[in-house]
Amino acid sequence: MPCSVPDEWRNFMKIRVTINNSIVEREVSDNKTLLHFLRDDLGYTGTKEGCGAGECGACTVILNGKAVNSCLILAREADGAIIETVEGEAGDGKLSPLQEAFQKHHAVQCGFCTPGMLMSIKALLRENPKPDEEQIKKAIEGNFCRCTGYKQIVEAVLYVTGQLEKQEELIHE
Amino acid sequence: MNENRAAKDLICVGKGVERVDTLEKLTGGALYVGDLLLPGMLHAKVLKSPHAKARIIKIDTENAGRVPGVRAILTGDELDYRLGLYLVDKYILAKGVVRHFGEAVAAVAADTLIAAEKAVELIEVQYEVMEPVLDPVRGLEKDAPLVHPELGSYDYIKDVFTPVPGTNIANHTKLRKGDIEKGFREADFILERTYTNPNVQHVPMETHGSIGQWQTGDRLTVWTSAQSPFTVRNLLAHSFSIPHNSIRVIIPYVGGGFGGKAGIHLEPLVLCLSRKAGGRPVKLIATREEEFSMLPCRSGLVYTIRTGVNKDGKITAQKMTMRWDSGAYADYAVNVTRASGYSAAGPYEIPNAWIDAYTVYTNKPFGTAYRGFGHVEFSWGIERHMDLVARTVGLDPLEFRKKNALRPDSITLTGEKITADSGNVTKCMESAARAIDYGRLTEEEKARERQTGMKIGKSVVALHKAPAMPPCTGTAVILKMNEDGSVVANFSLTEIGAGTYTSVAQIIAEELRFPVSRIKISIDSDTDKEPYDWQTVASKGLLLSGNAAILAARDLLAKAYDVAAQVLKASVVDLDHDADGVFVKHHPSHSVAWRNMAVGYAYPNGNAIGGPLIGVGRYIAQGLTNLDKETGQGLPALDWTYGAHGLVALVNDRTGEFNVLKVASAFDVGKAINPISVRGQSIGGMLQGLGTALCEGYIYSPEGVLLNPSFTDNKIPTSLDLPPEVVSIAVETPQLDGPFGARGVGEHSMIAVCGALGNAIQNASGADLTHMPIRQEDVWRALQKS
Amino acid sequence: MLQEFTYLSPSTGDELYTILREKGSAGRLFAGGTDLLVDIRGGKASPACLIDLKKIERYHILSYSDMEGLSIGAAVTCRDLVTSTVVRVHYPLLAEVAEHLGSPQLRNRATIVGNICTASPGADMAPMLLCLEASVEIASEEGLRRVPLREFFTGVKKTSCAAHEVVERIIVPSHTADSKGGYEKLKRIKGHDLALANVAIARKGDTVKVAIGACSVTPVLLRDFSAGTSAADIVKEAESSIKPIDDIRASRDYRLFMVKTYIERLIDALQCA
Repeated sequence: MPCSVPDEWRNFMKIRVTINNSIVEREVSDNKTLLHFLRDDLGYTGTKEGCGAGECGACTVILNGKAVNSCLILAREADGAIIETVEGEAGDGKLSPLQEAFQKHHAVQCGFCTPGMLMSIKALLRENPKPDEEQIKKAIEGNFCRCTGYKQIVEAVLYVTGQLEKQEELIHE
Repeated sequence: MNENRAAKDLICVGKGVERVDTLEKLTGGALYVGDLLLPGMLHAKVLKSPHAKARIIKIDTENAGRVPGVRAILTGDELDYRLGLYLVDKYILAKGVVRHFGEAVAAVAADTLIAAEKAVELIEVQYEVMEPVLDPVRGLEKDAPLVHPELGSYDYIKDVFTPVPGTNIANHTKLRKGDIEKGFREADFILERTYTNPNVQHVPMETHGSIGQWQTGDRLTVWTSAQSPFTVRNLLAHSFSIPHNSIRVIIPYVGGGFGGKAGIHLEPLVLCLSRKAGGRPVKLIATREEEFSMLPCRSGLVYTIRTGVNKDGKITAQKMTMRWDSGAYADYAVNVTRASGYSAAGPYEIPNAWIDAYTVYTNKPFGTAYRGFGHVEFSWGIERHMDLVARTVGLDPLEFRKKNALRPDSITLTGEKITADSGNVTKCMESAARAIDYGRLTEEEKARERQTGMKIGKSVVALHKAPAMPPCTGTAVILKMNEDGSVVANFSLTEIGAGTYTSVAQIIAEELRFPVSRIKISIDSDTDKEPYDWQTVASKGLLLSGNAAILAARDLLAKAYDVAAQVLKASVVDLDHDADGVFVKHHPSHSVAWRNMAVGYAYPNGNAIGGPLIGVGRYIAQGLTNLDKETGQGLPALDWTYGAHGLVALVNDRTGEFNVLKVASAFDVGKAINPISVRGQSIGGMLQGLGTALCEGYIYSPEGVLLNPSFTDNKIPTSLDLPPEVVSIAVETPQLDGPFGARGVGEHSMIAVCGALGNAIQNASGADLTHMPIRQEDVWRALQKS
Repeated sequence: MLQEFTYLSPSTGDELYTILREKGSAGRLFAGGTDLLVDIRGGKASPACLIDLKKIERYHILSYSDMEGLSIGAAVTCRDLVTSTVVRVHYPLLAEVAEHLGSPQLRNRATIVGNICTASPGADMAPMLLCLEASVEIASEEGLRRVPLREFFTGVKKTSCAAHEVVERIIVPSHTADSKGGYEKLKRIKGHDLALANVAIARKGDTVKVAIGACSVTPVLLRDFSAGTSAADIVKEAESSIKPIDDIRASRDYRLFMVKTYIERLIDALQCA
C-alpha cells in the first residue's frame, strides 16, 4: 500500500542499546521516546503507555540499573544504555521466581500495570533483597494499579524474598 | 446449581487456584489493542471541543488535508448516524453543536500518529459559545438551557425509560411503595438532608482504544478494548443498518474496564474513518487526557433523602430524590438512574417509599456504566443518612442498621420478598464489626490516640446490589474436547481483570472432574467464534456464565456417556466418569478413555461412532420482570449480594488530617469459588472506593472546562494509600440458583466505602460531611462549622 | 513524541555555551527531562531544540569540601542525593527532602538543579535549599556568576538564569552543614503529589531559617530567627510574607492554616531535638 515518508524521518541518528542482553542498533528520530522506541521500533510491546506523562508507571523499564518512566526519556538519551524490560524477566522458557510469586498470589488482574510493576520490584530487590512491607509499597508507589489494591502484589514480593510469615486469607464465616 | 455440594467433596471449586489468564500478562506477551499491528494500518487523532456548549458554525479541514500522509478526515456533517444504548441521542462526531468539553468534533486517519496530530492541529473550527448547564439542580429548573432540545424526537426503549421532552430529563424513574404520607404521619422524627458526589473517572490503566476496518461490501471488523463484544456488534448493526453477520468484534486482552468500556465508544468512529480511507484499518488509542474528557465518566449525584423513623428506631417512610448529573448524553446513565432507583434505600426495609430519580442532561462529559452502577454514589448518601437518623433516635448506628436490615420476609422497594436464601446482610455487618472491634478501642488503639493526640472513629456500613440487567439476560458456553482429553471453553464474557475466567474454569473442572490445568479458557472474545453473552457488567458473569458452564459440561458428559454406553455395552445410568474417562460404576475397569472419544470413537475394525465432543450450555435469567413505570414494582433482581464494611479512622480534629487504619469488608458471596480471587476483588474494589472517597472528582471552571484532565490533579490511590490493615470476609449463604451456590461480587467491594469513611471521621472528630471527596481540607472545613 | 524538535548533547561546557548562545530561547536545556518532556507533550513548551547536558561529566559531580560545602552538579539526581553518604552525613535534611519529590522512577531521573530551574512555586527542593543558604553557579560563554538562591526565583516558573546561560551547580555552604530541622509537605494523597504548601525549617547554631513554598509566586525565605523564637512569632511573620491563593488543589485559608500547623510542628520537633 502506498504511504508517504513520515515527517519524523527528517532527523535520524543511530543509537546502540542493550536490551534484555541483546545489543540493538537502530536509527531513531530526535523526538522518539524510549517507550515508543521499545514498543514501535523494536516490538517490545510488554511495556505500556498509561499516561505518557510520568505519573502512572505503566512504562517503567530498568535503565542502567534504575527503574525509570520510559515515556519521559528520549531514545537518543538511552544511547549506550543497558535496558531491561518485562520480556527479559522469564528465562529459558520459565517464569522467574518473582513472576511465579505473582501468579501464586494473584498479584495480576487486568495485567496492564504488571510489566512496569515487575521492573520496579526487580530494581528494588537488586538493591534491597529483603525489603519490608513499607519499603515495598514505597518502591511501587509510582506504579498505579486500579485492580488489585496492591496488597497481593506486596504479599507476592514478601513471599519471593522469604519473608511472608503468614499469608492472610479470605475469612470464611 | 450444585449448591448443595459439601466443601469436602469439591476438588477445585473453593480453592485458590492460580489464574488462567495471567501468564501472558506476566511475560509481556499479552496483546492489548494498543499492541496490535495490522497491515496497512492507519493512526487516528481526534479534534475535541474546548467548549462545554457551542454551536459549530464552520469546520475547515482544507489545510489539514494537505498534510502528507493524511488518508481520511471526518466531521460530524458526514456521519448521520445516531447511537444510544437505551436512548438514541448521540452522533459519532458532534453535529451542529458540541455538548461537552472534550467532545469529539473531527477526526483524522493518517500514516503516522504525528501526521494525524499535525492535521488535527490544522483543522479550524468556528464556534459560537453558548451558556452551558453544569449541574443537575440547575438543569431541572424551568428556564435552564436545554442540552437536547429535540429530546422528543429520539428513539428509546419505551417499556423501561421515561424521557421528558422539553426538559433536560433524559429519564424519570419512579417508585411508589405503600403509602408515603401515612408512613411519615407514623414517624416520630423526620430527617431530610442532601448528599452530593462529583463526576469521577474509571481510570482503567489501559485507556480506551479500537482498531476498525470497513471493507468492501460493508464487512466490518473491529478490535477493541471493551467489555461487551455483542453489544458493540448489535449497536453497530443497528446504527449502520448492516446485518449482524457482516460485523465481527474481537476483544483481545483488556487492561481494566470498570464499566467504562461496557458500551460502545470509539468503535463507530474508527470504522467510519476506515471506510473513508478505502478500507484500511484505523487505530485510535485515547490519551489519558482524552480518557478523562472525551470518554465518559461516572455521573455525579445530588441525593436528597427524607426519612421518617419512630422512636424505637424503625424506619416508617423514606422519600428519595435523585438528581443525576449525567452529562451530555444518555448512554448508560438512564439505566443507572433506573437500577439505582429501585435499590436506592440500601439493604434496609422501607415499608413506605417514594422515589423520583432523574437522569439530568448537563454540558459535561457524560456518565456511563461504572462499577456499582449508581450504588457507590447513592450509598454515600444512604449510609451517612442512616448514621444521622441513628443519632437522632439515640441508637448506635450498627444497632439501628440491624434493626432495619432486610431479612427473610422483608419486602424490598420493588415488592420482592427476601428469603433466607437471598443472603444475610446482618451477618455481614456483624462480621465486619467484629473484625474492627467495633464499639470499643483496643489497648493498641488507645495507645495510638495518646501518642498522636488524634482520635479514632469506627463505623460499620452495609450495602446491597443486584445485577442491573434486562430480565431476559442470557448467555452460553461451549466446551470443546481436544484429542488428548483436554478442553477449550468458549464464551464471550470478557476478562477485564476480575478473575471470572478462572472461576469458570474451576467450575468446568469440577463438573468434569478434571484438573483445572486441563481447561483452557479462550482468552480473546470474537463474535464469530464465541457464543453470545449480553455484557461483562453487573456482577452477573459468574452466576449466569457459571451456570451455563455447568450445563455445557453436563451436555458434553451426556454425549460422552452416550458413546461410552455403546462401547461398554452398558446403560447410561450405570456410568460415571473421572479425569481419565467414562467407566461402569460397578466394574470400574470397564472404561473408555477421554482421548478415545474426544473426536469420535473408532472401533478396532475401523467403524466409528460419536463425533467431536462438544458441550453447549445456555442459561437465561428466570422469573424476572420489568418494573412498572409508575410504581417501580416488579422483580428485577437476579440475585442480591449483600455486604458490609467496618472502617477505623484516625483523625486530627484540629487540622483535618486523617489516616484510614483498617478496613474490614464482608460479602455474602454464596460460595467463594476462588477465595484468593474474592480477596483480590474485595481489596481492589475497596481501594477504588477509597479513591472515590478520598481524592477523586472532576473539577470544572464556571464555563464547563475540565480543570483536572490528567493525573497531575486527578489523583487515584497509590500503594502508599492502602490502609495498613485490610480484612476480607466471605459469608456464604448459598444462592440456590448460583453455580455451586455462588453469587457475583465484582462491584460490591467499592459500594459503601465512602459512607464508612464519612461516618468514621464523624465518629472520631464530629466533622459532618455531606459531599465528596473527603480531603483533609474538607474535614477541616467541616470541623470549623461544628 | 508528537511534537518535533532536534536533540543535541554536547560533551563539554564550551560546546554547551556555544549552543546556548546560538539557539537562544529556541533551545531548552534539560537533564532529567521529567518537567520539560511533560510540558512539551502538554503543549506548554515548544522548543525547536532540546539540549541534553548529561554528557558533560563534571555535571554529575556531587561532592563536599570543608571549604566550599556541598556541590551539586546539574546532572545530579534526587536519587543520587538520597543515597549519597556525604549528603547523609553533612546535610541529612536535603536527603530527607529529596525523598519527597515525585515517585521512585521520577527520583531516578529528576535533578536537583532541574527542580530549582523549573522554579515551580512549590518546588520540593527549594524551601530547604533556601534555608541552607544555597547559591547557584551560572555559566555561559561570558563566564561564571553566582546568585544566592533567595535572589534566583523571580516569578512563577521564572528564574534569573537567561536563555544563553546554564546553572551548572548548586552550592550549599559548609557553615550550614549539620543543620537540624525538617520538611513538611501538604498533599492530596499519601502517594506522590505536588506540594499544595510546603515548609522547611533549618537551624544552625542560634539561627533558624524558615522557607515556605506553593504559597506565593516563588518559594519564600522568611527573615532569620533566633533559636528561641516562638512558633507563634514565626507564624506571624509567615502570614505577612506569603500570599497563597485558592485553586483547584487547595484553598487559601487551608494553605495558611497548614503552613501555621507545619511551622508549629517543626519548631516543636526542633526544640525537642
